[in-house]
Amino acid sequence: MHPHLQNIAIIAYVCAMGLALAHLVQRQALVHRLALLATLVGWIAHTLALVVLAIEIGGPPLGTLPHAVSVVVWVVVLLEMLVERQSGVTVLGAFVMPVVVVLSLRSSVARPVTLAPVLGNAWIWIHIALALVGIAAFVLNFAGAIMYLLQERQIRHKRPGRFYHRLPPLQTLDRWTYRTLALGFPFLTTGLILGAVWARTAWGSVFAFDPLAFFSLVAWVIYAGTLAGRAAGGWHGRRAAYFAIIGFAALVVTLGAGLFLPGRHGA
Amino acid sequence: MPLFAAGISHKNAPLALREQLAADEDKVREILRDLVGGGMLREAVILSTCNRVEVYGVADVPGEARAIAFRHLCRQRGVQSASVEGLLYTHAEEEAIRHAFRVAASLDSMMIGEPQILGQVKDAFALAQGCEAVGPALHTLFTQAFAVAKRVRTETEIARHAVSVSFAAVELAKKIFAKLAGRAVLLLGAGKMSELAAKHLVEQGAFPIYVVNRTWARAQELARALSGTAVPFEEMGTALAAVDIVITSTGAPAAIVTRDMVARVVRGRGTRPLFFIDIAVPRDVEPGVDALPGVYRYDIDDLQQVVDANIRERLREAQRAEALVEREVAKFRARLGDVEVIPTIVSLRERLEEIRAGEVRKTLARLPDASPETRDALEALSAGIVNKILHAPITKLRESSRAGAHRSWLALVHELFGLGRRS
Repeated sequence: MHPHLQNIAIIAYVCAMGLALAHLVQRQALVHRLALLATLVGWIAHTLALVVLAIEIGGPPLGTLPHAVSVVVWVVVLLEMLVERQSGVTVLGAFVMPVVVVLSLRSSVARPVTLAPVLGNAWIWIHIALALVGIAAFVLNFAGAIMYLLQERQIRHKRPGRFYHRLPPLQTLDRWTYRTLALGFPFLTTGLILGAVWARTAWGSVFAFDPLAFFSLVAWVIYAGTLAGRAAGGWHGRRAAYFAIIGFAALVVTLGAGLFLPGRHGA
Repeated sequence: MPLFAAGISHKNAPLALREQLAADEDKVREILRDLVGGGMLREAVILSTCNRVEVYGVADVPGEARAIAFRHLCRQRGVQSASVEGLLYTHAEEEAIRHAFRVAASLDSMMIGEPQILGQVKDAFALAQGCEAVGPALHTLFTQAFAVAKRVRTETEIARHAVSVSFAAVELAKKIFAKLAGRAVLLLGAGKMSELAAKHLVEQGAFPIYVVNRTWARAQELARALSGTAVPFEEMGTALAAVDIVITSTGAPAAIVTRDMVARVVRGRGTRPLFFIDIAVPRDVEPGVDALPGVYRYDIDDLQQVVDANIRERLREAQRAEALVEREVAKFRARLGDVEVIPTIVSLRERLEEIRAGEVRKTLARLPDASPETRDALEALSAGIVNKILHAPITKLRESSRAGAHRSWLALVHELFGLGRRS
């Protein structure tokens, strides 16, 4: 049953992405409503798919990386709907849904690696869950950074284009990227520490090479640097946005490494 | 109900003629009384603004009435009607409905989407109502025109983007700063345009306002007008560090805000952007400041470019608005058809009921011994016949009104059943 639900969810997300992008360009209220509807339909199908999956495997669907990524997507879509509703930024979907679609497609084509049995422990669930919430926040961080750069470019070049009226003000977007960074970072950090502690007890070494662990450390360093730069160095605006994008690229590589490269996360 | 709209507007008539024709409220009242009281028109609304003078009316005899109505208006305003004849446009029926909707929705305005016209149409309508010149047809038409105008306003963006330089500057400030409330503004120089822009910012909650000007008295005067503070020219650098938005409009021959000055200020600002609105020619702010992080500078040409882009955006939105108006016109035509047909259906029913009841009364008078059952049967029989007879003509009338071809049918029904003058 759940593969069908999964497919419905992905198709609905793809529709939602198309409609959200059309809304960004065309700004028809009807298109936006349809995009919201498609997102909601996708999310409900996705929820059911995850529930069915959890019943089938008798536990939270975090045991394999594709499942875990699927949960990330689920959290991101939920957050996107809530934030869009609350902030009234109707173009948000156009920037979040493409990421959602890429992640969904990736997790559905990846080999269904099972996380090493040694990882089957309550601590590890917390490690995964925290890391996932962190990643979800960074997806929003990424979307905010892209919007910031688009809007900043239009204002700096004195050529207000199609999106000028549709994107939120620069300061709002800048504050947005700061907040999502400040939200995601503690989750990612705690998730990584738990993972490292576990790795030490399980394998005797924190630094034993594992592609996912390595790249997530890279992403963490980038985000840590950005946060430090923002909090202490007064970084903001374009520089902060560029770093948000680099950090997110590292996260995508991390997930890709986990999904496609052999390593301890997918023994 | 022959509906028409006749008039002249900025589209075809020169300002001089519009000025001559435009009438004040008293004059409009007088003309309305002549037109409606004198029996030329059954209903009338006169819209008189600096961009258009138009008569919306309902007349028994279409065609002639519009020309007569407008000729009367010309006579009243002392304008040779011959000089207007060639410029006069007249719209009848559906065209008139469309015209009323487009005018109210500001699609026929000189600047598409400008907000005043709707208020002017509402005033014109209220004035005509006050003179009892408005009947059911114009009442329906104008109420609907207001609703259409509101829809156009909320569902399209024809009125949303700034089309003047000073508003474009404010709009930009809003796209840089999330809110303008509490943003500090510095006015460099005391030009009219910068004062206007500053006023818009103050309306949006910008505070405090500093004014720097070479003439101290003028600085103080402007500061008072904006509830701001005058700052001596020498302290311009300090003021620059304290504000978020700078509006410059001095007559200085060269830039007075240099890149170095701004670079020094920016270092201490943290994450706050700095926005220069340079309305002066020659420019007051060195274009080089553009390269500094968090600094945005718009000169008069840049702002004009924004305005042009916004006007193009309005024109794009206007196409969507036209489509919306078109749908509303079609809906309204169908409704108007019903409105016209219903009184006839009602009087047709009344007429036949009258005949039926009369005949039943006469018959019963000749049958004093009739049992209650017989009486009931007679009533039921006659009512049944009347309903059967009425069914076909009523259906036909409703159908024809939906097709917009009910006029001749109405006339025929009135003629055949002797219903008298329609109202």
